[in-house]
Amino acid sequence: MSTEKLALTTNSGVRKPTSAGGASNALAADLTRVLGPRKVLSNLSERLNYRYDAIQFGATPLAVVLPESTGDVVTAVRAARAAGVPIVGRGAASGLSGGAAPLEPGLVISFTRMTRLTIHPERREATAQAGVVTLAVTEAARPHGLIYPPDPASFRTSTIGGNLAENAGGPMCFKYGVSGDYVRALEFVDADGEVHRLTRDVFDLAGLLIGSEGTLGLITEATLRLIPPPKFTRTLMAHFPEVGACAEAVSRAIAAGAVPSKLEFMDRACTNAVEDYLHLGLPRDAEAVLLVDTDGEDLDTVQDELRLVEDACVASGGTVRRAATDDEGAQLWRARRSVSPALGRIRPQRMNEDIVVPRSALPDVVREIRALGDASPFPVVQFGHIGDGNLHPNILFDPRREDAHAVHDLAHRIALVAIRHGGVLSGEHGIGSMKRDFMRDAVDPETLAALRGVKRTLDPHGALNPGKILPSEDDLHAHP
Amino acid sequence: MNNEIPVQTLGGQGEVMAHAVDACVHCGFCLPACPTYALLGDEMDSPRGRIVLMKEVLEGGLPLADAAPHLDRCLGCQACVTACPSGVPYGELITAFRGWSEPQRQRSAFDRSKRWAILKALPAPRLFSVAARVGQFAKPLAPVLPAALRGPLDLLPETVPAMQPSPKVTPARGVQRGRVAFLVGCAQQALAPNFNAATLRVLARNGIEVVIPDGQGCCGAAALHTGARDEALKLVRANLNAFNPGDFDAILSNAAGCGAGLKEYPMVLHGEPDEARAKAFAAKVMDISEYLNTLLQNGELEPPVPASRPLTVAYHDACHLAHAQGVRAAPRALLRAIPGVRVLEVPEGDLCCGSAGTYNLEQPELAGQLGERKAKNILSTTPDLIASGNIGCHTQIQSHVRRQGSPTPVLHTVEILDRAYRGEL
Repeated sequence: MSTEKLALTTNSGVRKPTSAGGASNALAADLTRVLGPRKVLSNLSERLNYRYDAIQFGATPLAVVLPESTGDVVTAVRAARAAGVPIVGRGAASGLSGGAAPLEPGLVISFTRMTRLTIHPERREATAQAGVVTLAVTEAARPHGLIYPPDPASFRTSTIGGNLAENAGGPMCFKYGVSGDYVRALEFVDADGEVHRLTRDVFDLAGLLIGSEGTLGLITEATLRLIPPPKFTRTLMAHFPEVGACAEAVSRAIAAGAVPSKLEFMDRACTNAVEDYLHLGLPRDAEAVLLVDTDGEDLDTVQDELRLVEDACVASGGTVRRAATDDEGAQLWRARRSVSPALGRIRPQRMNEDIVVPRSALPDVVREIRALGDASPFPVVQFGHIGDGNLHPNILFDPRREDAHAVHDLAHRIALVAIRHGGVLSGEHGIGSMKRDFMRDAVDPETLAALRGVKRTLDPHGALNPGKILPSEDDLHAHP
Repeated sequence: MNNEIPVQTLGGQGEVMAHAVDACVHCGFCLPACPTYALLGDEMDSPRGRIVLMKEVLEGGLPLADAAPHLDRCLGCQACVTACPSGVPYGELITAFRGWSEPQRQRSAFDRSKRWAILKALPAPRLFSVAARVGQFAKPLAPVLPAALRGPLDLLPETVPAMQPSPKVTPARGVQRGRVAFLVGCAQQALAPNFNAATLRVLARNGIEVVIPDGQGCCGAAALHTGARDEALKLVRANLNAFNPGDFDAILSNAAGCGAGLKEYPMVLHGEPDEARAKAFAAKVMDISEYLNTLLQNGELEPPVPASRPLTVAYHDACHLAHAQGVRAAPRALLRAIPGVRVLEVPEGDLCCGSAGTYNLEQPELAGQLGERKAKNILSTTPDLIASGNIGCHTQIQSHVRRQGSPTPVLHTVEILDRAYRGEL
């Protein structure tokens, strides 16, 4: 690990007075003077748009910086620290846990203009700045016969920085591993505005940054591992008359030795929502749909593996259809990626969970969640990366007509189902502010204390994305 | 998206706007589809950001003048609508919002007169033709003229062709198989009169009688999309009176922007007495490529004469065909129906060319960047011909392709079909 200090442009001098249409506060004015107006947003009409992610609206920031280099990030962090305001990093704000939605007014650093990307085919590596769009890595690598496997549903929008901050997964991650598994090196700016370049050696501080949701540092660049794409890929869709049967098929297929590259599930409500969007002819009456890819270097093996999955589905009461063409397969996967936002067709708002449970418990878990949903006044839908036990139960509601507390309550009971079956709260979306309250159920007090210790070490003043992941200590004292 | 838009006080258009905002789950899937987000990389200039801004203005939390620059930069291309899984009718939202907000806008005298001139000249083909001819002589002066005038001059072709008035009725050749009404459009009559001539020839050749009803005029899309709602309503009502949907198998347009405009009539008149008439009218509206493709799919299209040599055609998706009308397969199928023609897909094909109605007059800088990017993408496929189905795209692409030194012909899809029928391809 090496560290380096960048010179800080100091803000001595008189602060610019606020003026209509200009900087509306001292922080914005200072930043504008140092970074120039192009990189700083200070008008209300601009700042309003940096208060949300894909699930939650937070506090309107005092200023937004759109850095074009790591040096700009350093300048911004130091200015925010001098002003004593919190700092929230932001990629494309396509996250689903409130991670990029500020809980209090402060500085938002939005990485969408840090988009330098270099492919090193000989090393099978990509160097990507934080704002590089996820899919852009594979698009740039493909001409060199390489891909970057992590494929969150939002990969056309999401950024590498955001993906690493949340340790994003995706369908490919069942076989190929999640975002963090592809990181060879990281550059980040710490809470004091110092730049660090980390490899994966002891203590693997890079590993600590991955999935830390911007609470320990701001990732500015990553060196990512690339792999050659599998030579052959085959896709099938199976549908089932009951959700538990679908989960049983998954356990059966994996027990039989199949290692699909993707294994995804969506229930009836999800299927209907995406069918309303894409009109692909998906089975609207099925209670559960399973999408499966097998891939590899040898077509016979790929076909054999698909056959194992097919047999398992049929044995569990499913109906199977193989995709006839690559294009048909691609359409099915587009449908899967569209599920989460398509749920907006059912209710305007949703509480999105991200539980991971042992595969053996899947049939019980999906059935219990289904029963909780049936007994509640809300539509509760389920989909997710069922191959690795990562499910996204979503509670759909209309905040104007329905009680948000009841939603939170039901979300808590769903989280407890996962925990009771030996599961965890978050597979890939992060905890953010949405699931922060459930952390005490999921993590024992000693572990929580250790996590707090890490946070205090790297961010002693609590400036980085406050109010995320760790439940507040005040609450801890109130409810020991 | 949770909102407190005062629907009651905003009327029918308020319902349209609140419905769109309700449907948005702010997932951000629209960001990579948006041309201005691609160029500027900030949230205010993305569809999701604009929805938030419109919501705030409608709720009274943000002055209109603060939001206006970002809303004005929206091309209305509706690529975000294609990309949106939750089904936000963004096109309806921005159109209704512009109509609602325009009377409250404070504009400079220069801006006001520019808008007035555009909205007067565009729907009046004769006036437009005169203006285009004058412009043609002013073209060499472009470098020394103010930027506001340079944009439109750059788009003018080297020679402005003479107008060719279309006959009121074009009889079917051979056995008559159908009868359609045709909207002749505005600017294209002056800039590309062969579009209409080719359309009439191709339809007649296929046994379709074409009627050009009296009293028809501009579709109103340009007025509507720039917020001149009263102007637009006059034009919409004139067309509803001119076209009697019961008399025709279909009402055809060969300009993507106009066709999309005609299909929007029910939304424009939502909650008004004419809404039912507008629905009956819009149900008959088809783009020329949609109509011909139904003939092709039914095995009824006259087979085109094979091209004299293998030809590659780069097909450009006009936003108002692909995104606003969902018409993508039909024009490609028609081009492929010509033996010897291979259709090429353009990289970043979903990204707007920057023409977007009056956009290249109002936002020349962004329009220029998008035009340059589009021309590069098209030329990267090294096509023999470039096809599109919209006059706006046609002039924009032609201008930027020439600027990059390429002589590749830019044609309407139906012109290529027409050439094939005439054995001239």
